[in-house]
Amino acid sequence: MSEPDFTVEIYQNEYLPEGGRDVNAVVTVATAGTAAAAPATAASSAEIIIVDCSGSMNAPPSKIAEARAATAAAVDVIRDGVAFAVIAGTHQAAAIFPSDGSLAVADPQTRESAKRAVAGLRPGGGTAIGQWLWLAHRMFTSHPAQLRHAILLTDGKDEHESSEDLGTAISLCEGVFSCDCRGVGTDWEVAELRRISTALLGSVDIVPDPAGLAADFSDMMAAAMGKQVADVSLRIWTPQHASIQFVKQVAPTVEDLTGRRAGSGPQAGDYPTGAWGPGESRDYHLGVQVAAAGAVGQEMLAARVSLVTASPAGPEVLGQGLVRAIWTDEEALSTRIDQHVAHYTGQEELAQVIQEGLEARKQGDEDTATAKLGRAVALAHQSGNEDTAKLLAKVVDVVDAATGTVSLKKKVADADEMALDTRSVKTVRTRK
Amino acid sequence: MTAGSAGPAAGMCFACGEPVGATDSFCESCGAELAPLSVSDGRDGGSPVCESCSSSRVSADGYCESCGRRVRSGRDHEEVDLGIVAGVTDRGLRHHRNEDAMALATAGTVAGPAVVAVVCDGVSSSVHPDEASLAAARAAAGVLLTAVRAGRDPLAAAPAAVRAAAEAVAGLSRTAGLVGDPPSSTFVSAVLTSEAAIVCWLGDSRAYWLATGPGSAAQQLTRDDSVAEELVAAGLLSEDDALASAQGHVVTRWIGADLTNPEPHVMRFEPPGPGALLLCSDGLWNYQPAAGQLAELALPAALTDPLGAARALTSFAIDAGGMDNITVVLAPFPVSADPMPRRRQP
Repeated sequence: MSEPDFTVEIYQNEYLPEGGRDVNAVVTVATAGTAAAAPATAASSAEIIIVDCSGSMNAPPSKIAEARAATAAAVDVIRDGVAFAVIAGTHQAAAIFPSDGSLAVADPQTRESAKRAVAGLRPGGGTAIGQWLWLAHRMFTSHPAQLRHAILLTDGKDEHESSEDLGTAISLCEGVFSCDCRGVGTDWEVAELRRISTALLGSVDIVPDPAGLAADFSDMMAAAMGKQVADVSLRIWTPQHASIQFVKQVAPTVEDLTGRRAGSGPQAGDYPTGAWGPGESRDYHLGVQVAAAGAVGQEMLAARVSLVTASPAGPEVLGQGLVRAIWTDEEALSTRIDQHVAHYTGQEELAQVIQEGLEARKQGDEDTATAKLGRAVALAHQSGNEDTAKLLAKVVDVVDAATGTVSLKKKVADADEMALDTRSVKTVRTRK
Repeated sequence: MTAGSAGPAAGMCFACGEPVGATDSFCESCGAELAPLSVSDGRDGGSPVCESCSSSRVSADGYCESCGRRVRSGRDHEEVDLGIVAGVTDRGLRHHRNEDAMALATAGTVAGPAVVAVVCDGVSSSVHPDEASLAAARAAAGVLLTAVRAGRDPLAAAPAAVRAAAEAVAGLSRTAGLVGDPPSSTFVSAVLTSEAAIVCWLGDSRAYWLATGPGSAAQQLTRDDSVAEELVAAGLLSEDDALASAQGHVVTRWIGADLTNPEPHVMRFEPPGPGALLLCSDGLWNYQPAAGQLAELALPAALTDPLGAARALTSFAIDAGGMDNITVVLAPFPVSADPMPRRRQP
């Protein structure tokens, strides 16, 4: 596997005032090349498409028809040599291609066979997403591929199992495969799919109109086909007695990785970032509190951020950056604000106030909803996050974007509210 | 000097204990170099240990693997005491490394003891300025020391020393595919004998004559090659305003591969009476450019304890803000024979 070159850049104000202990930094990880660059050896990739076949997919019937078409479109994008399968999900899970529960190797014949099997999908039954994940896990782990990715489509709530059952299945799959989740229509639960996509390092989005599924599926599959390096982690070393306050991915979306730490040696822990292809760039926001402030003029390494991937010879370091702390009595230095850190602090708050505002709105707490969503409008306006600003404008009437003066709309389409919720985590980058 | 010559015994060899002559460069018994060049290359620090938590696990990039503190590298603070000349170089408070370097030596000549000193300040906008200053100081001092030992005219040796420094610095930029301005450094050297000081410079590291008392006024011996100096010389700005201007500290001559054949300034100065020769980087004179004020800070301690006086001037610059690396070298005049040349202090 020819790996793209990784670069790690640190943006921070390394100067702390006397007594200061909190160090913030934005870590930008990027890979060289373009997405069209040489793909991974096909034999190291595996793909499973999981399609909801519950009874509700028949209402309206166009839903199952578009789901079949979308699955076929995604199958068409799978490169020759990639191991793949299709699962039909109801209150249980069934391997519909290959029907023996193995993975097929993609070629023109197997793709045709898979599409024929998909065309025969008939809705009926309930929804138990944990069951679908169990089967995908079993199929993936029976195959040696390193890059394992799934696409999961549902149109409804996870009704036919307990939340604990789903949680067990998610934990089982964590670190085994990544999963992009899509909800079609408006009868599914944003929080439920976000729980899966966050744990499995994938995306979540709404496809309000089934007609949009095919394009979305082939895009997702094309992105998956571009991945070359599996299981890349941020390895963060910190000084003794320092505490890591948070580790978050902040671009392209906000994903909190703080709780995902796996110890990896003295004073070091690994945070998963998933798979990478060429031409990618993601930003991470790191907060470290050192045990004791240094004297003015002293310098400390507050964190060493390494990018590591497992290789047969052991962990391989792909790149490294240093987060430093230098104590100064010069206010002009210590009060300087790094624009990347400030920007992403704002984008994290934006995602948070949208989710809190929508929750308050659901609970009927209009004052809180107005305040939170107003703050969101102001943050989106300041940071130039136009996509989020547009989504907000479908939920609130904006009186003054700069100050965040808004009033709640009386009637809001479910799809608009869900789109705002799912896409609240999408961030814009700083102008560099 | 050959074995059996009638030179006065001036001490003993530090290596074998046999008596050595005052003008000997090498021990006639064991061949040890009696007064080798002392360079602030950080080699005397031993294996680094964290000052904060005493851990000896230090990463390749210079941080304690336990508590994260930056471990002082050998070059962060170095002192050289050769008795008749001493120097201190320090990282200061604001820069994360010391890009200044110094090289000191003493030699016995038929006319009496002599001092060789070079101070270089790496240009921080260039790549590897710390290596540039060290290479320049080491190469130039080596040429000057050889010339002084051989009894050659230091006035003629000074440009040769600059050429050697320029070649050493140019060699650095050939080693790796460097991006940015090639390594470069300022330069000031002095050879001090019982008769005169031969001073040579490029850039804005300075030499001062420090003296107190009537008829022996302190003075700045060098003229900076800097934008500030040009602005003052052209009558455009006062010295204070020029130094405060954004471009004031930009040097107009330096040692580096991007300035071929640098023309150094060379001057000969005959001290009118007792005093001390000071070589320093701008980390010191930024806080006190006036010769008279520097003389008050350094004297009379510099006449008898040059290391103590150099430490005091360094502390003065650190207490004043320590914005830049600081290097201070002091040699008292008249140059007296030091009975027991001291080794450099770690």
